[in-house]
Order: sequence, then C-alpha cells, then structure tokens
Amino acid sequence: MTLKDDATDPAITQKDFVTHVLEQDQLSQAKKRPVPRKQLRGIEILVLWSLRIYLLFMIAVVVYQVVLSMR
Amino acid sequence: MNNLVPDTIRQEPSPPSGPEITHEDIDRAHDRQRVLRARAGRGLFSKSRLLWLLIGPGILVMLGENDGPSMVSYAATGARFGVGFFAPFFVLTFVMAIVVQEMTVRLGAATHRGHAELIFARFGPFWGWFSMLDLLLGNFLTLIAEFIAVRAGLGFFGVPPWLAVLIAMLVLVLALITHRYWTWERITLAAALLNLVFIPVAFLAHPDWHAFGRALGTWHPLPKGGLTNETVIVILSDIGATVTPWMLFFQQSATVDKGLTRRDIGYGRLDTVLGAALATVAALATMLCTTPLFSHQMSAENFQGAEFAQALQPIIGRLGAALFALGMVEAGIVASITISISSAYAFGEVAKRPHSLNLPISQGKSFYTVLLLCAAAAGGLVLIPGLPLVPVILIVNVIAVLAMPPALVFLYMLVNDREIMGDLVSPWWANLLAALVVILLVAAGVLFGVSVLAPNALAHLGGG
Repeated sequence: MTLKDDATDPAITQKDFVTHVLEQDQLSQAKKRPVPRKQLRGIEILVLWSLRIYLLFMIAVVVYQVVLSMR
Repeated sequence: MNNLVPDTIRQEPSPPSGPEITHEDIDRAHDRQRVLRARAGRGLFSKSRLLWLLIGPGILVMLGENDGPSMVSYAATGARFGVGFFAPFFVLTFVMAIVVQEMTVRLGAATHRGHAELIFARFGPFWGWFSMLDLLLGNFLTLIAEFIAVRAGLGFFGVPPWLAVLIAMLVLVLALITHRYWTWERITLAAALLNLVFIPVAFLAHPDWHAFGRALGTWHPLPKGGLTNETVIVILSDIGATVTPWMLFFQQSATVDKGLTRRDIGYGRLDTVLGAALATVAALATMLCTTPLFSHQMSAENFQGAEFAQALQPIIGRLGAALFALGMVEAGIVASITISISSAYAFGEVAKRPHSLNLPISQGKSFYTVLLLCAAAAGGLVLIPGLPLVPVILIVNVIAVLAMPPALVFLYMLVNDREIMGDLVSPWWANLLAALVVILLVAAGVLFGVSVLAPNALAHLGGG
C-alpha cells in the first residue's frame, strides 16, 4: 500500500493510511480497552498501605495549614 | 504493549470494517508518517530531521519546570549566596530530573497510555482518583504562582494586571487554536526557548567567570556560615522542586499524544537530556544575573521577579532589566500552558473522556474545558484585589509534598511492571540509580514540607 496523504477516496484510504502508519495500540479505539488491574505482591501491598497512612497524616497537616493561614 | 490487554479482550474479533478511525488518529498518523519517512532516509540530514520531529515533550517539561517561582528561586540563590556551591548543585538537580523523566518516556512509548490512566488501571480507582485530584489541586495553585510571575514581569513594562493575564491567556489559546498536537508543540517550544533570554542578561551582569568555572569543578566556596538552617531549607527546596508531579504526568501523556513508539525511545531520551541541558544553562544564567546583588551586599530576601529586574537595572542597564523581566513573563506563560495541559490530560485519562491536543473542539469539549477553566480561574484569582496570595504559595509547597511520594513510587512500580513494560523494564543498575533518586526526592520533599510547616524544626540540622 502506498502511503498517500491526498486520498481520492478519503473514507477508505484514510483508514488504510492510519492503520498502516500507527501501531494498533495507538488507535484511539484501542485505548478504550481496559488495562487489567495489577496483582499486588506482599511488598507492594505494604508500600501502598504506607502511602495511605502517609496521606492521612499529610492531609491533616494540609488542613491544619489552611486553617492556620486563614486566621 | 503486547501483554497489556488480557487475552480475553485481545481475541475479540474486529468488526468487519476494521477499527473506528477518529480525527485524532488521522492527525497523529500524519505526524508519524513524517517520522517514518525520516527514519527511512540515510545520512546526517535524515538523522537531524528525525531528531527535529521527535523532540518536544522533554524540552517542554524541563523548560516548563523553569517556571516563575523557580526562576525567582534561582535569582534569590544568586543574590543570597553568590557563585559557589549552588552552581554544580543546580546541575546535579537536573541530572536527577533526567533519571526520573526518562522513566516516563519509556512508560509512554511502551504502553501508549498516560500516567494517571495507568495508576488508575493498575492500582485501582482510589489511587487513580487521588492522583488526579491531587494533581489538579496542586496544578491550580501553581498556576496562580505562574500568573503572579506574568503579572509582575509585565508590570515592569507598565502593563496593567488585567492586560497581563489577558496576554497570557491569549498565548495559551493561540497555541491550542489549531487543535493539532504538532502545531501546539512547536509554538510552545518557540516560546519556551525564550527561557534562554537569561543568558545575555548574565553576560551583562559581568559575573566572575573564573570563580564560576572553579565552583562548577570544586563545589566551592560553600555557603557562608556553613550548613545553616536557611541553607538546609534552600537545598531541600531545590531538591524537592527538581521533579514536580505535573512533570511526570505531562511528559508521559505528551509522549503518548505525540505518538512515540518503542523505536523512538532513544530520541525521547535525547529530548529529555537536551531539555535538561537547556534548563540547566537557563537556571545557571539566572543565578549569575543576580550575583552582583550578592557582591553589593544588597538584600533580596522578599524580591519577586520584577523587583529583581528593578534592583539590577543600575548594574545591567535598562535593556538587561527588560530582558530579565521578559524572561519572568516567558517562564510564567510557558509553565501555565504545560501545567494546564497536564491537568486536562490527567482528567481525561481518569474520567475516560477524550484527551488529546489533536482533538477538534467539538470532540474534546471536556479536555479543552478543563484546560482553559484551570488557566482562566487561576488568572482571574490573581486579579482579585487584596486576595492573600502568600498563603497560596505556601500551600503549593505542601500540596506538592503530599503528591510527590505517591507519584514517584507509582512511577517506579509501573516502570518495573513487566506485564505492561515487557522487555523495557529497567535493568538493575538503572533501578538502583532511580531508587536512590526517588528516595532522595521523597525525603527532601517531606523534609521541606516539615520546614514550611514548622520553620524551626530543622534548626538542629545545621545548628542554626
């Protein structure tokens, strides 16, 4: 297939052109397919729980800071 | 990304007419066709053309991070400490930025998905929504700081605040109006290169080049008074600001939107290194611009961008001061463009709405609405008379600290996720380097957050 920008029949040729040039996963339609959830291992679960605890602490700090700055 | 989609989904037969093609796909295909043609060619011209076509996200993210507050910080460092320890230190911070941002290039090229989308998909909705909302909030507050820089910079030329905000918004709209990623990227790149305007200003400031060269090689002289509380906070602030959350989200999404593939990763890395080199030169030049203030023992403690320009005018002349102020305007405008776009990408990825700069307005209403709304609201807030903006700047730092550890940890986990990266996972040595940088960035960010909240908490570190 020749890659032509100025297709005489845009409805057909543009589709051929696009599917030829782009990788399948680059098509916007392909991006609608869900990416599977990661199966977490022990260490990863530990890291995510540490992040949750960190967040709770930091959110409290941010709220405190906002209240303090508004006084 | 062969393993990303489960077999059950992959094996679904395509409709007889093939996949649905959108306007976004057509635009991206045209850009990719030029890349394929350049790659097929031989010789230096083809290689140079390929580089020209593939650079963009790396330069934009690095020069975008040289934003209003960063340039004020570099200028303040030059005025406070002169030439010495901080010159090679700035170089080191950009090397760390390269290590982190390179991971986003590989992730984007390997998966063709944005950072927020991957966090949402691989780690669940809680972390997906958290990352997006935290990014949006942090970006919005940072945008306010960018518009303050634009207002202050244009104020030097006597431009009223409302007109300054309007000019910044017009540049943003102008870059978007063609709804083509390529055009947007080139317009923004041209604007970002104005960041280098600090180089001629540095020459006008006549710094001690011999001392500068010596400092780069020896890290001396160390800051006066040793490792004081103030110095520790400046160091932590600079390390913590090396990589900010929007940079991770922006570069990965822009890599995807530009259409980079596995074959382009080498050029993506080159783009990132080139961007870091340009940003380092601009940062060092800004520091050099203000070293005369250090030599003249002038206090610049509470200076903003335009005040530096005014203070420097007797030394570098009207032209130098005007260029300095213009640099501040550029820093604010380019950052406001890239930061708003990182918000719009993240929103689209998590809310599963179309998100691309190749989208026509009619197909990307939510994308463009988020983008323009963020910028317009931040610009509008800056115009409210008497609004206390200092607490906003303070909270920006804390929000950034809140967002960084999850963002960096997820980046590290994603880039080592063999299911989505395949053979592009990092080798052990790159992992070790990245882990060291991530740990250092997280620690520095958190310590800086503590220093903002409790200014005396770090006093014992330096005995100050």
